[in-house]
Amino acid sequence: MKTTQVSFTVNGREYTMSVGSLFGQLLPNELLIDTLRERLGLTGSKIACKDGACGCCTVIIDGDAVPSCDVLTVDCEGRSILTIEGLAAPDGTLDVVQQAFVDYNAFQCGFCTPGIIMTTRALLDKNPHPTRAEAQEALAGNFCRCISHYHVLDAIESIA
Amino acid sequence: MARKSLKDGINNPIPVDPKYVRRGRKFSSGLDPDEYKYVGKAIARKDAKELVTGKALFLDDFTLPDMLIGKFLRSPYSHAIITRIDATKAEALPGVEAVLTYESFAELGRDVRFGYPPHKPFLSEHLRYIGDPIAVVAAVDEQTANAALDLIEVDYEVLPAVYDGLSAVAEGAPQLYEEFDHNVVPGGFPVMQSEGAYWHLMRGDVDEGFGECEYIVEDTVAFNKMCAPASPEPPGAVVRWDGGNTFTCWTASQSTDGPRTFNATVLVGATLHVQTFNVGGSYGNKQTIGYQVCSAALLSLVCGGRPVKVMQTKVEQLMAFETRLGSQVQARIGIDKDGIIRAVKGKWTVDCGGICNATQGQVAVGIGEAQIVMAKCENWDFDSALAVSNKQPAGCVRGYGGQELNSCLALLMSRAMQEGNFDPVEVYKKNYVADGDVYIWRDGLPWRAHTVNYVPIIERAAERFGWKETWKGWHTPTWTSEDGRYVRGVGCAIIGNADVGEDTSEAYVRIVPDLYGTGIKVYVHADITESGMGQRSSILRVVAESLDVPYENITIVRPESDINPIGIGLCGSRGTITYGHALANACEDLKAKLFRACEGKLHITSDLMEIRGGYVYSHTMPGNRIPIKHIEANSTISFTGYGKHVENFSIPSCVMCFIEVEVDTQTGKVDIVRMLTATDCGQIMDPAAIEMQLQGGIGAACLDTATFEENIIDQATGRPMTYNMVEYKWRTFNNFPEHESCIMESRPDSFQFNAIGVGEISGAASASATMMAISDAIGTNVAEYPATPAVILKALGKVEK
Repeated sequence: MKTTQVSFTVNGREYTMSVGSLFGQLLPNELLIDTLRERLGLTGSKIACKDGACGCCTVIIDGDAVPSCDVLTVDCEGRSILTIEGLAAPDGTLDVVQQAFVDYNAFQCGFCTPGIIMTTRALLDKNPHPTRAEAQEALAGNFCRCISHYHVLDAIESIA
Repeated sequence: MARKSLKDGINNPIPVDPKYVRRGRKFSSGLDPDEYKYVGKAIARKDAKELVTGKALFLDDFTLPDMLIGKFLRSPYSHAIITRIDATKAEALPGVEAVLTYESFAELGRDVRFGYPPHKPFLSEHLRYIGDPIAVVAAVDEQTANAALDLIEVDYEVLPAVYDGLSAVAEGAPQLYEEFDHNVVPGGFPVMQSEGAYWHLMRGDVDEGFGECEYIVEDTVAFNKMCAPASPEPPGAVVRWDGGNTFTCWTASQSTDGPRTFNATVLVGATLHVQTFNVGGSYGNKQTIGYQVCSAALLSLVCGGRPVKVMQTKVEQLMAFETRLGSQVQARIGIDKDGIIRAVKGKWTVDCGGICNATQGQVAVGIGEAQIVMAKCENWDFDSALAVSNKQPAGCVRGYGGQELNSCLALLMSRAMQEGNFDPVEVYKKNYVADGDVYIWRDGLPWRAHTVNYVPIIERAAERFGWKETWKGWHTPTWTSEDGRYVRGVGCAIIGNADVGEDTSEAYVRIVPDLYGTGIKVYVHADITESGMGQRSSILRVVAESLDVPYENITIVRPESDINPIGIGLCGSRGTITYGHALANACEDLKAKLFRACEGKLHITSDLMEIRGGYVYSHTMPGNRIPIKHIEANSTISFTGYGKHVENFSIPSCVMCFIEVEVDTQTGKVDIVRMLTATDCGQIMDPAAIEMQLQGGIGAACLDTATFEENIIDQATGRPMTYNMVEYKWRTFNNFPEHESCIMESRPDSFQFNAIGVGEISGAASASATMMAISDAIGTNVAEYPATPAVILKALGKVEK
């Protein structure tokens, strides 16, 4: 059946988009990262490689940490997507992962930080008490060139 | 070929007479370091919450009304001439607002050339590297811009190409620029060398020096795999033409000054108003942003002032943006019977790829850093040749020429140490710069090291690493597995940089009384862009401490050229000393103004006053005080202090690196087992920041240039094969060695708070330390970067050389 629209939720809010090539419609080849950033204004997820290799655009889709540059938005029908903007409570209270990153200075330039935090959140949702080695494995797809790795792992250990 | 000399250069031997030597000066904050409330204390960065919530603004998150998207069509050949170009179809595509080719750009009558001296045309029929821009397009969106690129028709005549410095300067090599005979770029960079061009270090008498040496080694060593600093955020710019020759520029540059300074000879006569955002990693690399800024500016110009955004893709960044320099060093080093290096003679050939972007400055700094390591050597004849080649441009990267040269010279130093069977730690202790030693810095002038002594940190680092217990001697593994397959070795190397006091910086500090109550806020005007070091927060400790104002009451204004005084930002490790000094001076100036204004009210002289908690107090009668808000009749009036730092190269920094590796002799695979990075940074400003700067030496094409990072070029086509994040090898989270930071705090006279920045060099000696560790592990010298399995197996004689 020809897809004419796609519906999904982002940070708890439902969106339905019309698919097509007319102005304003969701193109069939549009990547989720572009939809999030360009259409929804959720620029916390960053574009770096667009090859699914660096993890800067990581979001959580139905519980899994996924690079959003590797996902077509039209494939998100019925999916629940959580971005870095949806992690803190509505009153601004930080998620425990975010707070641990603040407490442990677990960032430098911060460009990769949203992706690393989302991967960590997904890990903790599945494995609340990961070992340091398990955290390292989970984060193996997240690029950080400033080398904040040691502080990130300390932060995760503090809440694991 | 012979190097041409510049008559007005200052390469001739400089009399290192005390009267010619530049020095440092004495400083004091007037405060007891044991009572600091903010300096050296753990305080969360001011931007911490923004960074963890995704609210921090980076360039690509920024947009302007009516903004166009700019895209490049790039050369598929490393050296070619365009024989035909036709952009008619692209221009006709709906949504395309402008297409510039070398032909249409010529009609504007504007000569735009990159590099120093200006040489690389913005657009040209002569293509000099893979990725060299052929055309630039501005369109209403990215898809339209990309579609337009596909419609530009180009025919080429492919030319022979050259891919390294020594080959480029050889007789008969393909010529890249008519004005660069044999591809040699003239030495000297006036911005850094105001008294004359400098590229050739000549001091003392090398023949006499070698005569004093017991052990002399000579070889040619290369560090020329042009690794990518690979910041996560690609380079980019948004530029709007404001009429005349004025542009407003929003960039992902690590400073607002970089695009203005380095593009002053590109967009000649233009006024650039520059604003930066959070920068997603730079590592010295995103300074000029030349092609991004200038193409967006020129597209905006031809589009009647519509803003144009040019964001590079990761592939463009890895394929065509600046990498580390290529470095080939032919040198002779002599060491005496006591382990003191007495003479160095050699030539450093530097490959800057298709554009020389002020690389002359890097060469001068690199030569300076060599003297910091071999500071007791008074006999030098060390020349350099700067060559262009058909590789992507190479330029500024963390280490600024120092890592490239150190990675070569340290290998030769190691061999000289082997000859004399010296312990390298002892040799580094004897040779490393200390108070009173003289070196010629990047300005070509002699400077005398001031109030530094790094022997204690070298000794402490060696002790923490367990050097004496672990190191078994040259070419001797520290451990061998029972089956003999795995061997371990340890290595060490050291590096320093006197650029920590480079260039002038100014700062304003404003005290603004609260509208209600007697509180105050402090606004800091210092042009600092945040690219990861946390310095926009760290440096405010100087202000909090100097004015005794709560840290949370201090705001640093946004990094923008028009609202801040002069300051080139955080290139190198300059931020700590230069902005710390300027801010401390601004606070002193501010206090002097406040105290003068209070003399009539407190009925005491200024020297008896102090500032605390928003009040001016009497030293002798603490009850005698006045709120700053009430100093002037109009309670909302503010007070502003001005401070500056004037360039000073008398405080060299120091980072020493110890490495342990394990080598699989069957596969040739090398693992870094542990790493210790040591420094004496003077007073610690921010404990987390200094530790992360030391850990940062693992990234940004530092440590891993020793074992697996390289920009692999297909020798048949010249195409980079490591053009994306899948192909370019980088260290992943699950492959990190044990790392220890070893930090000492002495009290050098760097500025009022006695701190020294060290971030730039934190990993600059790690590659050469790793090579020593590998050589010791497998029992033979390895000198090819990176020491991949193939290199190791060759060294072990297991595969053909």
